[in-house]
Amino acid sequence: MMMQRSTVLLPLAIEATLQAQQQRGMATLKAISIRLKSVKNIQKITQSMKMVSAAKYARAERDLKAARPYGVGAQQFFEKTEIQADEKAEPKKLLIAMTSDRGLCGAVHTGVARQIRAELAIDDVNTRVFCVGDKSRSILSRLYGKNILMVANEIGRLPPTFLDASKIAHEVLQTGYDYTEGKIVYNRFKSVVSYQCSSLPIFSGPTVEKSEKLAVYDSLDSDVVKSYLEFSLASLIFYTMKEGACSEQSSRMTAMDNASKNAGEMIDKLTLTFNRTRQAVITRELIEIISGAAALT
Amino acid sequence: MTNAWRAAGITYIQYSNIAARVLREALRTELRADAAKRNESHVKFTPWANGRPAPRQNQSES
Repeated sequence: MMMQRSTVLLPLAIEATLQAQQQRGMATLKAISIRLKSVKNIQKITQSMKMVSAAKYARAERDLKAARPYGVGAQQFFEKTEIQADEKAEPKKLLIAMTSDRGLCGAVHTGVARQIRAELAIDDVNTRVFCVGDKSRSILSRLYGKNILMVANEIGRLPPTFLDASKIAHEVLQTGYDYTEGKIVYNRFKSVVSYQCSSLPIFSGPTVEKSEKLAVYDSLDSDVVKSYLEFSLASLIFYTMKEGACSEQSSRMTAMDNASKNAGEMIDKLTLTFNRTRQAVITRELIEIISGAAALT
Repeated sequence: MTNAWRAAGITYIQYSNIAARVLREALRTELRADAAKRNESHVKFTPWANGRPAPRQNQSES
């Protein structure tokens, strides 16, 4: 009786485990194919993002060439007058972080944020930050939220215009924060594959007027200086926005190219595992059939 | 000597942007469409205070 029962039970148990195994095999096969499909979709997305940013980059570079004289001209004034911040007075610094709203572009935003963090680590009492673009805000708000003066967003969807820059300059002047010196931290575009995080100095009216070398310029009164500084701030912001936009697009291009390449590698590997698993399932089924047939004869 | 626009309380940036807008509108029709693209801006500003976005006290139109 006992023998009989066990012989009846044994095939049942084997059948159950086999079925479970088979199901598991099928399940992994399915899981792999789902994964493969999603990775393929991701690759498609990154490839098209690369195409889009390549087109945008071409335009940004063309725009940048036209915008460079603005920045160079505005910088010349500060170089010629050799303005130094007044060391006796309490320094009030303003940092302008030139980033954009958009991510997925390598380390362009983190580079800017890192430089600003380094500045804030030296002195976070008399330093305020003007964030241009949501990315710098989201990076800086965690540690230095109190230092953020204002955030400008909706940047990066369209190429920056001079009107954008002048609005930002206007807000910088209107914040009511009387900075004595400042810096615009931005990414300077060097070539398609490289950019460098750098900064440009900006100064307020009183600091400029105290400069001794201002006499190299003829017939300047405080009104002219004030108007000029307003304009030069707008031009510098415009120029740095263009540089930033160009670096961002080129960096996104590289990042998306790498992402597509990595996705391609993953697809290759997954296809290999998929085929191997499929083979294994087929082989096992064959073994089952053959051994089943062998058991019958 | 103060300029009329300074007396009216606008900055040089605003002054020159108004001038630029007028110039763009005065262009010939075939050029105007292209120039109009340079005349738009979508930037939004949020003032921050004490680590939080703060409501703006005086809305300034530029």
